[in-house]
Amino acid sequence: MGQTVSKMARWGRDTQLSVRMFIVMFLLAAVYLAFIAVLAAYGVRFVPLAVMAVGLLLVQYFMSDKIALWSMGAHEVSPQEAPELHAVIDRLAASIDLPKPRVAIADTPMPNAFATGRSPKNAVVAVTTGIMQRLDPQELEAVLAHELSHIRNRDVMVMTLASFFAMVAQLMMRWMFWGSMFGGMGDRGGDRRDGGGGGAMILIYLASILVWIISFFLIRALSRYRELAADRGAAIITGAPSHLMSALMKISGVMNRIPDRDLREVQQMNAFFIVPAIHADSFTGLLSTHPSLETRLERLRSLSREMEGL
Amino acid sequence: MGLFDSLLGRSRPVPSKIEGLFAMATAQVTLETQLGLKAGETAGICFRAVESNYFDKASSELDGLLQISAKETGTNYQTKTDEFGYRWILVSDPQFENLVATIHIVSQTLKENGFGDQLLAAVFRFTTSSGKPIYWIYNYKRGKFYPFVPEGNTRKRDNSIELRLSSTMDHELPMEKELERWYALWGIPF
Repeated sequence: MGQTVSKMARWGRDTQLSVRMFIVMFLLAAVYLAFIAVLAAYGVRFVPLAVMAVGLLLVQYFMSDKIALWSMGAHEVSPQEAPELHAVIDRLAASIDLPKPRVAIADTPMPNAFATGRSPKNAVVAVTTGIMQRLDPQELEAVLAHELSHIRNRDVMVMTLASFFAMVAQLMMRWMFWGSMFGGMGDRGGDRRDGGGGGAMILIYLASILVWIISFFLIRALSRYRELAADRGAAIITGAPSHLMSALMKISGVMNRIPDRDLREVQQMNAFFIVPAIHADSFTGLLSTHPSLETRLERLRSLSREMEGL
Repeated sequence: MGLFDSLLGRSRPVPSKIEGLFAMATAQVTLETQLGLKAGETAGICFRAVESNYFDKASSELDGLLQISAKETGTNYQTKTDEFGYRWILVSDPQFENLVATIHIVSQTLKENGFGDQLLAAVFRFTTSSGKPIYWIYNYKRGKFYPFVPEGNTRKRDNSIELRLSSTMDHELPMEKELERWYALWGIPF
């Protein structure tokens, strides 16, 4: 075929997002290394703590699917029980070369969805009955694509690794706290030290608290970036950022505020449509695991402009 | 997607492989002679639309291009959108080799024009002596085939026939070995 057709738009990369994610992971690693250095400098026996943390993490890692399903009250469904859901997920998984994940449904009116599992082969995608009722098929597909992106990006693995030393720091704090309660500041507790006295103990305690706090914020930031990455992935998989945008708006209840009745008809009722300005307050913004709706919509809008070549 | 991409959450579309399609031309002989299946005269390509004016422009130009080439080769050609919002390009030709060749050419044209990432599957239809449809699905992302046998209009698959087909055709087709990648494809419009 000699003729050529106009080239399709290419998917650009979100370099900014990747850079941010890299910086956060780098900072986390730096904080953790500093923590290990402090522990080593004061001769804290790090190994038993690390073993315990690894144990807890492994449980979390290998049980992640069961824990998440159980806490959401979700049960796995077969293709016969939920044919439409399976059909959509089959196509999405095929299009990004992901093994078919298991599918679960939680019987609750709250609109929500999640994906879990340590690896793509062990993944589960779960949706609530609420989200299935509230969203139309295209929107539900976008939400499922978002969840499949989490699986593809191995978010369970990344977040488990990211929280490893935060867990060590937390364990350390607890041990020391209980140690000081019952055993005094002496050496009878779990962490025997070579030298130093109460001063060093307090320093390690403070270092643990500091590591825990800093890593908490960094992990939350990482979680928000991974949500944005999954949003982007969903838009790329479905080829339609608008589906995810309307799904997000519907889930957060904003869509209900877009009037679909004729202006003349609702003139008298206009007062009801006044939307309170939604403002993510900067501090709760730092604490939350998900980016604000505005941020997510803005990112999708800019991706959509990019796709249109604007 | 590599580990580094995973770590940085970089989603990329998966490129398509189209070379595996040709194996269908020879496999058809075995399917007809040994398994008594009858090859259909229509095959289809399923792909996903993109919300973009580039896509609209490219796909309407592509339409024209495909119509011209269809006229040259004498294959019939039509497009459809299914219940899941995916687009289908259906080609018909009484000669099965032509059908395979046309599917390959159309796939290549789609790929050359930047639709490669959007390609989902190519589908070949066979029927059993009792008239039951048997589909061979070519997954572009894997470059592999697997059988798909729906049972009537219920969304159920006849797994026993599928497994038998795949073990019989193992040497002739690049077969998908991982069963969790035998994705169902409901609503095939032919």
